[in-house]
Amino acid sequence: MAYVALSEAEKTFILHGVEEDYRCDGRSRRDYRPMELETGLVSNASGSARLRLANTDILVGVKTEIDVPHQLTPEFGKLEFFVDCSANATPEFEGRGGSDLAQELILSLKNAYESPFAFDYRSLCLIPGQQCWKLYIDILILECGGNLYDAVSLAAKAALFNTKLPRVTATLLDAGITDLIISDNPYDCTRIGIETVPLLVTVCKIGDFCLVDPSAEEEACSTVSMVVAVSQRNNEAFLSGTHMTGGGSMHRDTMLNCLQLGLSIGDYLDKLLVKMLKQEQERVGPKRPKIVGFLK
Amino acid sequence: MLRGTQTKNNLLDGGTIAEQLYATPKDCEDIFDSIEKPSALIATPRPTFIRSGVLTTVRGSAYMEYGNTKVLAIVAPPHELMRASARRVNMGVLNCYVNFAAFATGELESAPERERHLGSMLTKALEPVVCRNELLNFQLDIRVLILDDDGCLLSTAINCCGVALVECGISTYDIIAASTACIYRDHVFVNPDAKVEELLWQHRGGNALVGATADTTSTPPVVREHGLLVTASMDTFEQIAQCQQCGYLKPATYARLLDCTLEINKSLRELIKNTIRARVKEQYALDLREQAESAQEDERLKTVIESLKQQGLDEFIQSNIKEDPYTKR
Repeated sequence: MAYVALSEAEKTFILHGVEEDYRCDGRSRRDYRPMELETGLVSNASGSARLRLANTDILVGVKTEIDVPHQLTPEFGKLEFFVDCSANATPEFEGRGGSDLAQELILSLKNAYESPFAFDYRSLCLIPGQQCWKLYIDILILECGGNLYDAVSLAAKAALFNTKLPRVTATLLDAGITDLIISDNPYDCTRIGIETVPLLVTVCKIGDFCLVDPSAEEEACSTVSMVVAVSQRNNEAFLSGTHMTGGGSMHRDTMLNCLQLGLSIGDYLDKLLVKMLKQEQERVGPKRPKIVGFLK
Repeated sequence: MLRGTQTKNNLLDGGTIAEQLYATPKDCEDIFDSIEKPSALIATPRPTFIRSGVLTTVRGSAYMEYGNTKVLAIVAPPHELMRASARRVNMGVLNCYVNFAAFATGELESAPERERHLGSMLTKALEPVVCRNELLNFQLDIRVLILDDDGCLLSTAINCCGVALVECGISTYDIIAASTACIYRDHVFVNPDAKVEELLWQHRGGNALVGATADTTSTPPVVREHGLLVTASMDTFEQIAQCQQCGYLKPATYARLLDCTLEINKSLRELIKNTIRARVKEQYALDLREQAESAQEDERLKTVIESLKQQGLDEFIQSNIKEDPYTKR
């Protein structure tokens, strides 16, 4: 993660705050920082979202392409993640500086989306065994203010919600070869179901306590954090990929507590995100008025 | 309708090797039918062989066989950090590189990606065990060579690296032990072999949603949990160094698999401890022998010096000249 300079005294202050359940910015241990979410900002992409979680700024664009499905999974579409750490975020990301972090984010996203329960790959299928959609999820990190995993997964889910796949009709030609016709009407499109799409929740351990949504300063104080991918299916929470990062270790019971915390927060976050996305969609309507730009 | 083009490798003697084990989803079913399903959950490790100090060219090395999985780990002594940016962290930096031997895996295309993934997971698992505060401004490079892959790669690599670290004399907080468990179609496989892991990997290959073919979209498909869990633990203070999960699991199943892997870790830990102890004993015996040899050498030199003092130089040389049988004086 990005480097933050903190003195011992500042670290102690943060630690005491966490112990008192009253963090530096006035939150309790289970609170998130304020979020701003906008969708459909990038006109060149099929779907896009921009999420600002306090100081963390993420822009996600989803591009679509027609591809041939893997022969083992003839009815599945494909997903591909790409994370770019912009040098705007911190000077450390200049050149190849951010590639390690980007790689880590890609791996955990890929891991979380791996299961067909977590993401319905069937909805990306056009003609089984011959044609399918391939979605490129390009994630751009514009500013690093802590809690990247959560922010990236929230933004990715919002961008997938916003993604509009053009309606495709197939005509059968001779010799079993099919021809695809893409609809001329740009508003004639299909959407991707996002009910089960997982969210990553980072549960951070500072001192003896676990908290969610650590800021960059809090991340510098934490010994270990656990990334929990939570997927909701039939009103039940499932784990679709967890791992520990941060270079520390924890007790089994602490870990299971972290897991529980992650699951409950993930559940709450998911409901809120879906609610907000639907609200935005209703308010904006099918035609987006005019994009003013997302940089304030 | 769909027929995967089966590419074949022709051997020199005309024999062929099927390049792909799985060509259609049907093959996955066949493979699943053919594998042995465990009837009960037995939390024991596979037959294991560990030996440290197998290479003389590096300080720390270890070789481990876990069933048919064969792994070699190399730890070089720490050296100074090259990158200035990493110096600001007040801890040493750990780098793990995993490589597949060219003959270890059939699919060469996915190997670089797997290597990278394993490397990053291995780094995360070993970071808690190494006393990184002692390696300030240093980086520690750990290299792993996979000679044979029969499942449980990551956990075997972690075990092997733990032993190699001790052999290299890097201070660690504890002994690290790791194991793998997975669940596939309601069967819990402990220490899954390559076939099971491959199935799990290909699980997304359409078999996940059993009974959820195109016509049953109206009813929600039954969720059949599947997933893999790798746990690395340090048992002195019951700490979990890394716990990586993939797949789709209920929290309760997660806890069940976790306890199962922790159980295996306990017995593996004893084994690793014994290996290290045996190695220390062996090293001690070697040291003793070396000492005895050097003492003998000292003794010999002492007598030589003694006689030199008594006889004087010329006489000493004369007495040491062996008569040459070919040249007569």
